[in-house]
Amino acid sequence: MAEYLDILMFAALVLAILSGFPVAFSIAGTAIVFAVLGWSLGVMNINLLGAMSQRIFGLLTNNVLIAIPLFVLMGAILEKSRIAEDMLDTMGRSFGQLRGGLGISVILVGMLLAASTGIVGATVVAMGMIALPTMLRAGYDPRVASGLVCSAGTLGQIIPPSTLLIILSDVVSNAYQQAQYEQGKFTIDTISVGQIFASALLPGLTLVGLYILYVLMRGWIRPEDMPPAPADVPRPPLAEVAQAILPAILLILAVLGAILSGIASPTEAASVGGIGAILMAAVKAGANRRFILIGVTCLIVLAIGAGVFPVRLQRSDLGLGSYMLGAGYVVMTLIGLAAIVLALRSMIAQKVLQPALNSTLTMTAMIFATILAAGIFSLVFIGLGGEERVQDLLSAMPGGATGALIFSMLFIFVLGFFLDFVEISVIVLPLVMPTLIIMGHDPVWLSVLIAINLQTSFLTPPFGFSLFYLRGAAPKEISTGQIYAGVTPFILIQIIAVTLIWFLPEIATYLPSVMF
Amino acid sequence: MQRILSVLDGISRTTGTLVRWLALAMLLAQFGIVIARYVFGYSSIAAQESVLYMHATLFMLGAGYTLLMDGHVRVDIFYDKLSVIGKNRIDLAGHLFLLMPAMIMVLYWSWPAVSNSWKILEGPISVGGIKAVFLLKTLIPAFACLVLLQSLSCVLRILFQSETRDG
Repeated sequence: MAEYLDILMFAALVLAILSGFPVAFSIAGTAIVFAVLGWSLGVMNINLLGAMSQRIFGLLTNNVLIAIPLFVLMGAILEKSRIAEDMLDTMGRSFGQLRGGLGISVILVGMLLAASTGIVGATVVAMGMIALPTMLRAGYDPRVASGLVCSAGTLGQIIPPSTLLIILSDVVSNAYQQAQYEQGKFTIDTISVGQIFASALLPGLTLVGLYILYVLMRGWIRPEDMPPAPADVPRPPLAEVAQAILPAILLILAVLGAILSGIASPTEAASVGGIGAILMAAVKAGANRRFILIGVTCLIVLAIGAGVFPVRLQRSDLGLGSYMLGAGYVVMTLIGLAAIVLALRSMIAQKVLQPALNSTLTMTAMIFATILAAGIFSLVFIGLGGEERVQDLLSAMPGGATGALIFSMLFIFVLGFFLDFVEISVIVLPLVMPTLIIMGHDPVWLSVLIAINLQTSFLTPPFGFSLFYLRGAAPKEISTGQIYAGVTPFILIQIIAVTLIWFLPEIATYLPSVMF
Repeated sequence: MQRILSVLDGISRTTGTLVRWLALAMLLAQFGIVIARYVFGYSSIAAQESVLYMHATLFMLGAGYTLLMDGHVRVDIFYDKLSVIGKNRIDLAGHLFLLMPAMIMVLYWSWPAVSNSWKILEGPISVGGIKAVFLLKTLIPAFACLVLLQSLSCVLRILFQSETRDG
């Protein structure tokens, strides 16, 4: 039995997680139980656990993951200040008589909520609360409505700037470096968050396009499933559309653009996104509106000015012009900061900020506790010889590199029934990815493939996470059978997307190759 | 008993309501760094590290509060269908056999590194950074202790509540 402890440990992990005890501590607890078991059976050196503090410290000082709480806060503010809700409502109305217009807006809002996607459940529940009642009220078929919410809720995870892609890029980068060490290379390439964002962009948009195509076709073939908005509801005036939708889209585009173009690091861009969300929420709430708008203008001018005429205070050859320009920038900065302070004050007074901070805290603590626990788990798993077993298994697969990849994809798909994105990224991927990369697969392409594969897994009955969370958020009139039926076409779309990316890797690799 | 519970929960709640502001503080600090860097061409390693410190403090000290709020994600496919007693049994077993041993081990195995770090008051991560890595490392045992205390509260609550129900 002792030589199979690593396999037993994995089985025990799945059982512990399925018991319903908080995932992070199920992972850490299973690891410790098996470490002690392995030690008492003499197959594991317990002193390996001494590496634990080094691993945890590595997590504390990880510079890539700092962007996560900032993005989560940005998403939480957009959600709690009801900006996301307004967006959905206005977008749905502006499609007017178009069949499936509301459905398309659900997909688009799901895509824009990407930043707040920390766990699959959260977005699906949020979309279920906002979008499902709206669609049912509009007379949508419950199957179509629930299918849309499930898939739109998981869409965010593969669209940058999703927090899951940040975690994925950290894992992939480590796996890539490990693979290069094992190949005996001395100059080590790394993979940045920007690269992963860039590679996920086209596949993500392809999925969005396929989803929208499906909604349009279904509305055409079975018009009774998605009635258009009643004729007496007027389209919202352009000003309202601009106010409800444009700021959020511009903000997300600016954040993404800054990361993809390499101007700013994800953390820097995320902070701009968070501040932008705060200002938007304050403008929406209406307090000190004019002053905040002036502050926003100052900050935007500052951003453009800094790009065109930068001032470098640390240089010694500053002329009078630079000082004047610098003084102007200082004034604009101060006005901008004053606007931020006012915005924060009104958000605190209206009790919008506190719940957003609360959900940021619990979401971040949950994600990082899981990563921390997964670090302990993989330490023990390696100590029990599991890593070598996985490598041997993969290299023994018939069909060489392709066979190993197909096996890994199926394995990850099945695991997606039991484990969430974070756990799979930090426990399973470090085990399989280095071997797959050494076999010759492109790491960037691999990560996109895995991300979409996981997303499909979360949609697949009977265990798919997404369905299961929707069940909790959906009204009782919707039967589980209807949810399953509604999601089936989307699973087919996902399979089409995976096949497309499998045979046309350029969809994933083209953008990063021209950008970086 | 009620008093012990409220003290234990109070510890988690107080840390939680305090450290949640670090999310805002790190956002503002990072935004300040962005302005300083891109508009005025000024950057400081210590400022950047302050964001890292706030980030680490946020999620390490927030873990206990998250446990109190039941914010650590559960896969409740089966759990959800159980009766209260069934849920309590799973939670009790989980706290006693998974969470507590794991946190005690984290305490035990991180202790040498933390105490060594305190002995030399370990300096910054990189040159020009904040000279308080020993505080950063202290977050590891602090995390374990906060989670343990909250776990104890959960266990006591389950035992205490089922006692009163039986009686």
